[in-house]
Amino acid sequence: MTLETVMQVALGGLLMGLIYALVAAGLSLIFGLMDVVNFAHGEMMMLAMYAVFVIWSMTGLDPLLQLPIVAAVLFGLGVAVYRGMIGRALSVQFNRGMVQIFVTFGLAIFIRGAAQFVWGGEFRAVTNTWLSDRSLNMGGVYLPLPQLAASLVCLAAFAGLLAISRTEFGKALEATREDREAVALLGIDRDHIFAMGWGLGAGAVGIAGVMLAGFYYVGPNVGASFALIAYVTVALGGFGSMTGALVAGVLIGEIEAITAAVLEPSLKQIGVFAVYLAVLLFRPRGLFGKL
Amino acid sequence: MDRRQFIVGAGALAGVAGSRAAQAADPVVIGVVYPLTGNGAAVGLDAKAAYEVAANIINNTHAPIGVAMGQGGGLSGLGGARINLVFADSQNDPQKARAEAERLITQEKAVAIVGSYTSATGATISQVTERYEVPYVSADNSSPSLNQRGLKWFFRTGPHDEMFTKGMFDFLADIGKKTGRPAKTVALFYEDSIFGTDSSNVQRKLAAAAGMQVVADIRYRASSPSLSTEAQKLKAANADVLLPSSYTSDAILILKAMNEIGYKPKAILAQAAGFQESAFMQGAGALAEGAMSRSSFAGDAEKLRPAVPIVNALYKAHNNKDMNDNTSREITALLVLADAINRAGSAKPEEIRKALVATNIPGSQTIMPWAGVKFDETGQNTLCNPVIQQVFDGVYKTVWPFDLAAKEAVWNVGK
Repeated sequence: MTLETVMQVALGGLLMGLIYALVAAGLSLIFGLMDVVNFAHGEMMMLAMYAVFVIWSMTGLDPLLQLPIVAAVLFGLGVAVYRGMIGRALSVQFNRGMVQIFVTFGLAIFIRGAAQFVWGGEFRAVTNTWLSDRSLNMGGVYLPLPQLAASLVCLAAFAGLLAISRTEFGKALEATREDREAVALLGIDRDHIFAMGWGLGAGAVGIAGVMLAGFYYVGPNVGASFALIAYVTVALGGFGSMTGALVAGVLIGEIEAITAAVLEPSLKQIGVFAVYLAVLLFRPRGLFGKL
Repeated sequence: MDRRQFIVGAGALAGVAGSRAAQAADPVVIGVVYPLTGNGAAVGLDAKAAYEVAANIINNTHAPIGVAMGQGGGLSGLGGARINLVFADSQNDPQKARAEAERLITQEKAVAIVGSYTSATGATISQVTERYEVPYVSADNSSPSLNQRGLKWFFRTGPHDEMFTKGMFDFLADIGKKTGRPAKTVALFYEDSIFGTDSSNVQRKLAAAAGMQVVADIRYRASSPSLSTEAQKLKAANADVLLPSSYTSDAILILKAMNEIGYKPKAILAQAAGFQESAFMQGAGALAEGAMSRSSFAGDAEKLRPAVPIVNALYKAHNNKDMNDNTSREITALLVLADAINRAGSAKPEEIRKALVATNIPGSQTIMPWAGVKFDETGQNTLCNPVIQQVFDGVYKTVWPFDLAAKEAVWNVGK
């Protein structure tokens, strides 16, 4: 294996890993806040990708310019899902955990079916964007521009999430996470905090979806393969930890790329799960988990 | 005779005449088994439309079309009898397909069955037809094992997967000879389910037989989020010809991934599947330019197959789509079966079987780019060679066999 190949493989793993990290960040945020695993997370990303495709095919607006629009739409969707479904599911008296699982699982299947009904089962793609199909040649190692842009936006989104955690709202978020009963006594509206948490989580995965749409195909099942990796990323990084999601995402991207290069490409998920199991064996709370 | 009596009398007379005509030519019932609901319904409903078009060509009175049974007006060998299709829904389930085939033979009195899209359903249907001694004409089941079971009543008009792959290697040999720049190395790139694995097994064998070196043998995970490492491996190997066996999403992704790292293979020759889907063209855009794929249908071969645009127009009027790889094979299957029944001059299954065995239709009397239809002792049509197509400006054009070619192949190997 030449040096160029090694560098190209490592670079590919890093670029994909940052996308994994941002997809996982939203999932981790919601889980850390209220112990709810959102099984419809991948489908929310898929909706964001379709939003990009629809706006692009109607107006020709570049995905990069659509970033704030689609992120805002997804934020609204996240809030609506909490207000309309999750909040109600949380208020049941018994077997609350099961109800939450089935509510988001059902939502995932519904969104996937609805997408197939509205847009058909065909694969679509956003083409001829500013960056599409362009790469920077750095002495034999190629840096694809759409992925580079996606990585930079992912890092910026992480910085944004960290900045939010420093604000008053972020402290309320943290306090609600620590003790959801006590904050009610302090006059913090728990429902409002949870709804904002869902909005942020969906917004984060929406940003990932927008950037992904710039270099990926769009289809009803596109969320599923990313969601699986997102669950592993969250568990590996530690539930609720933003830093954990970032580190674990990059780690998974690299493990995947290296397994595919050194062993066989069809085995790359095995590499990911082997590392995942090893970490959980010795550190069940994940790399950066507090619980 | 008053007016009323006249009408009654005329009516009675018409009734008698009608029943006499029916007696002279009882319709011939043919069972058609396809998935009409469930996950294969899209393909099955297109197939239903295709068979209806074929039955109309056989039964209706119209200007002659240059295919077997294209003269219309029913089966002349049976006094103008009509073909009567009875459809049954397999739901893409081998057991349901078996039960429906049995019902068609015993209840509906079908004298032959055609079907059935997936090879798994084709396998069970052909067991039933063997037991009841009724011909089964397979239009589109492509598993090579189906005609290797010693069945007496099984006939396959279309190619099986090994013939498809053999066609690809025949093309490589031909284009190498023609240009003086033969392909010496190939890269196998295939998804890890049964389709990709089977395809690669045959390709490995045929590459060895052709003296080509396999410089990359990459089995990848279907629907992976990323194929960038796979693309890097292909780039490092830099084979003369890349042979992908992929479904649509992976086909789009690998072209994008190779482009991202500045790699354009000298030649891509795909095992159809994803590369022949319209969504692939949309998704891959300009990156698909120059890619080649095998196909069993050449919609652009009207010069040598003048019936293609005529039949396509009939199909389009009926189903609002152009004929494709599947629907063209289905129409052909029914025409071939009807031709046999017509020659048999009888609706007795044994007579039909004998006529099928004796089938010899030249390619010019079909809508397919094949050399013709002629069955070997296993019931496989040996003349149904596939074609190779190449993307020019976002459209597949036939480039091989050279006498059918709509365009000259762009061949960059050895340049």
